[in-house]
Parts: sequence; C-alpha cells; structure tokens
Amino acid sequence: MAEQTTPVALPDVGDSEFSRVASRERIAAVATALERNGIRAIVAADSAEARDTVHSLLADGAAVYNNTSRTLETIGVSEDIERSGRYQALRLRLYQMDREMQRDEMRTIAASPDYVVGSAHAVTDDGSLMIASASGSQLGPIVSGAAHVILVIGGQKIVADIPMGFRRIREYCFPLEDARARHAYGVPSGVNNVLIINRVLAPGRIAAIFVPERLGF
Amino acid sequence: MGLFDYDARPATPQVQLVGDRSSAAAYALRDFLTRNGLPYDWQEVDGTGGTGDPADLPLCILPDGRRIARATVEQVAAGLGMISPPQLDVYDLVIVGAGPAGLGAAVYATSEGLTTAVIEGVAPGGQAGTTSLIENYLGFPTGISGGELATRAVSQARRFGAEILLARQLSAIAAESGGFRTELSDGSTMWSRAVLVASGVQWRRLDVEGIDDLLGGGVYYGAGPSEALGCRNSQVVIIGGGNSAGQAAVRFSRYAARVTLLVRGERLGASMSQYLIDTIAGIENVEVRTSTHVVGVEADGHLHHVVVASTDGTRESLAADRLFVCIGGTPRTDRTSAAGVAVDSTGYILTGSDLTAGADAVGRWPLSRDPLPLETSVPGLFAAGDVRHGSIKRCAAAIGEGAMAVALVHHHLAEDVRG
Repeated sequence: MAEQTTPVALPDVGDSEFSRVASRERIAAVATALERNGIRAIVAADSAEARDTVHSLLADGAAVYNNTSRTLETIGVSEDIERSGRYQALRLRLYQMDREMQRDEMRTIAASPDYVVGSAHAVTDDGSLMIASASGSQLGPIVSGAAHVILVIGGQKIVADIPMGFRRIREYCFPLEDARARHAYGVPSGVNNVLIINRVLAPGRIAAIFVPERLGF
Repeated sequence: MGLFDYDARPATPQVQLVGDRSSAAAYALRDFLTRNGLPYDWQEVDGTGGTGDPADLPLCILPDGRRIARATVEQVAAGLGMISPPQLDVYDLVIVGAGPAGLGAAVYATSEGLTTAVIEGVAPGGQAGTTSLIENYLGFPTGISGGELATRAVSQARRFGAEILLARQLSAIAAESGGFRTELSDGSTMWSRAVLVASGVQWRRLDVEGIDDLLGGGVYYGAGPSEALGCRNSQVVIIGGGNSAGQAAVRFSRYAARVTLLVRGERLGASMSQYLIDTIAGIENVEVRTSTHVVGVEADGHLHHVVVASTDGTRESLAADRLFVCIGGTPRTDRTSAAGVAVDSTGYILTGSDLTAGADAVGRWPLSRDPLPLETSVPGLFAAGDVRHGSIKRCAAAIGEGAMAVALVHHHLAEDVRG
C-alpha cells in the first residue's frame, strides 16, 4: 500500500500568466461574481487565515474527505483533517480498507461525505469554477454527492474566461500534476474529466476561500 | 495504487510498523491497528532489524515521529491518543465488550437517555468485526463488511453520547452499595447502576504440538483481516466450519494462490450459512475438505506445512504458508465470574429462567422475584450476545439481545428507584 513519499521533482513551468497571483482588486471582483452564482466566496488575508476559515466551516465530528491537493497540504488543512481528531477523516478510513473486499464500501464512502475539501484549477472573472480530474472520482461529490464543499484557491488561478481556464489546465496544471502522479503512483495523470460550475442552485453549498498567494498547481 | 482519488494514501505520515514476519508481537499490533481502522505501513525485516537494532523489534514509528521500540498494543494505543479516562463519576450502564451486542446496547441505551460507557479490550466489532462481508444482515442488500458495520455502529453510539473506552481490559466487577464497581486494566475505576456483560467469545485453541510457537508466525486465531495482503500468491489453510471460517476463505481467496478449508464434520451445512456455502462453491481456488482435522505443523521458524488426518485414517502433509484457526469459541468470562456470576459447565453465563431451572439451581438466584430474561445471578448485572448461555451465534441476534437488555436495564433501574 505504501507509495513513494520522497519529494517530487516538478517540471519548470516558468513564470507565466498562470502562475502570477492576481491583484486583490481582481480577486475581490471574482469573489463578487462567485456570490452572484450562488457560491459563497471568502477572501482570506493569507494562507494561515484560510486554514482557520476551513476549520471554522467544518462541523466537529463530521465525515470529511480531503481531496489530494497540493494547496491543502501546503497550508496545513490536510493535516488538520487527518490528524486533529475533530472529524471523521474519511481518507484515513479508506486507506486501511481491503481493496479486494471493500471496493463498494470505499466507493460509497468517498462519494457522499458530509464535507469535501479541495481546490480548483481555474476560476474565471465572471465566477465559474473549473476543476480537472484524471479519474473523475473527485468531481461527483463536488457536484452533488457531498453535503458541503469547501475549496481553497490560490490567487494565481484566476483566468479571464473558460477557454483560458482550459489553457491553464492543459499548459500549466497538467505538467505539474502529471509529474506528481508519476512520482506518487507510478502512473501518468490526464485531463480526462473537467468540471465547470457556472451556477449553484443550493446557495452556499459550495464555499470558495481565496488566498492572495501562489498555492498549489 | 488504484484508479481513484480515494485510493491515494493520506497526505500525512501514517503509523510505520517494522517487524519480523514471524513475530507474534508484530502480528498483535497489525491486528489491533487493522481492527481499529487505523492505517499503517508494514515493513517486514525478517529478523535483521533493517538499519536498526533487531532487539528493538517490533518498532512502531508514530505519525508525529515518536519511536516505540519493542512496541506493545497498549503503548501504541496510548501513543495514538486512544486512551482517555472515564468522563463521569457514575454511569447508568457500563457495557463490557464492543461487539454487536455491546454496541447495539450502547446505541439503544444512549438514545433512550442512559449515561453509558463501553469497555473494549481490542477493537470494536467483536468477531463479527473481522468478517469480510456479511450478506444476510438486514438493510444491506449487497452486504456489509464487519469492519464497516463496527465503524458505523461506533459512530452512531458516540453520536448519541456513548463513551467508548478502547484498548483496556476489564480487571474486575463487584456489586457494591446497590450498584457496581468496575476496574479497568489501566487502573481506572468506574461506578454504575447496572452492568451488561457482552464480552463475547475468544477463539478456541487448537491442541496440536508446536502450534503455540508459531502464533503470529504463520498461525493465527480468527479471520486475520490484517493478513490479507501478506497472503498474496501463498498457500492458505483455514480450519473451521462456521461462518467466520467461510468468510475468511472468501477473503483470502482474493489474495492467495490457493485456500484449503478444513472441516471436521461431514459437511459444511451444519453451522455455515447456505449463502456462504454457495459462494465458496463458486470460487475456483478454494478447496473444501470435510471429515478432516489438523494433527501437526511443520515449520522452520515460519509455518510451511500442516499435517491433516481424515476420518478414514489417511494422513497428508499440505503446503501452508498461513494457517487460520476459526474453530468456535470459548466465552470470555474469566473476569466476570469473579463477581459471582453463575455459568454453565462450559463457562457461558446463565441468565433469566436458566438460573432457576434444574436440580442444581437452588441458591443461584438471591431475590424473591424471578430474574429478568437477560439478568444474571447477580441482580442488575445482565449478559447479552455470544457470551450468554443459549444465545444464537449470529450478528443480528446479538444486536437484538443488546437492545433487549437495555429495556431490562430500564426495568431494573425503575425497580431500584422504587426501592
């Protein structure tokens, strides 16, 4: 079950429009656009405040699934979920399950947590969220499976529109995620599934926490 | 690594266990962590100690980096923060054992307002917690694993307010001042108005020369859920004709090259559910041998063969990397019997009308009223599940008895108040 845990050497994707943190004014404008689309938007002062905000949004004892996310790992949210003892950390529960005998249980547990906590790969100026996934298993809970969704998003992920979001995913996120996947799992990643959330019909179900820092891919 | 995000390892470091593959102490740790749903990474070093000192094995490295040499279950449980003291001075009900009967009682008791604590020495779920897939439990049409059922039950009991004290053994129970004093292996003492003993059974030992020396080194009592990965491409032998043995055969068939199920009786149907018999019949790498029992083991530090004898007198040596012994149980009553609880000739706890029936019943029951159905010979002390004389050895039956016991505890407490 053990996977490679040594640091991964990521490709140099250089300094580009996809790696530069947006201005606070642009982040504030995107937050307003997200709110218009039914997505609760919170702008944190920094990653420490974002971490505290996630903590304040999660209910004690809840079943929480943390997506594999460089952003969550970097700011300590993964550690809070897996190690604080405040929540039912579903990723720990899943990790020790019998892959041969408990596949169905794993699938159903991961599909409908109380909270899923993750990130996004791009956010457009008019308030759409874009999330790519090789397997797609992260996307179902975000769309409807989880009761609540919390996304922590670095300030470099804002793009002008959907086409630019696709470019960011293909040209910037994919090479980094592919290197991480090959290192961690020994398999390539892929832009196989892309979720675009334009509007949420249950206002507030999804919370997006912006951090004016370069976080994650 | 599987296909999906939920197959990925957690972001944070996990418990690391380093040990010899033939170490009983290392197996006890793997079993404890697996049955408590705690992920860990196992590093097998075959006695060399790897880069460390072999005398330190088994070595446990906790997620925060602390190292425990010659680790024991109690030390690891404490290191993982699993040990917390009882929260109340007096409880309405203390339950001994967190198997199906104990957890069933905990859910019903707390949901009906009784302050309740559950004591569990190893892991929630009892024997049922180690089964791979229970397919005939009501409400789960495609089945549920014993581990998942236990995890859900613990979560449900805690949500209602039950306190579940893990990794502690019962040391003693005594009736005192109209209630009960319960002492635990960690030195703590609890007081309660009623007690429910749901301590279940432990696997009956196999009387074969040399087998005790191989415990954890290829010989295991029970279904051994922690050992599934280690059985890949190996020869597995399971002894037993009950559902636990059948469940183990199904699980290990997914990993092992071959599974041989040895049954002393002439057929499986005597104590195994038909659905399991049908399932096993459809698995190519499982062979069922009836009218057969184990008479010897061959090992070179680790098991490599078992010698089996058939009722027709023939003997045969079977290649066996792992032997799982699932041959029924003996009741866990060694601590409760000291409280004066009457048991039958095989150690199972007598309750209700069984206390007052028969020629030797005189003096067993101390009160003028009849004992309540699950009440033991000590008024206010109840028994439920597999530990009880006459119980049906099925998960749903044990849960039902746990729920029934709570109604009787209410009756006892009301009587207590009336004086």
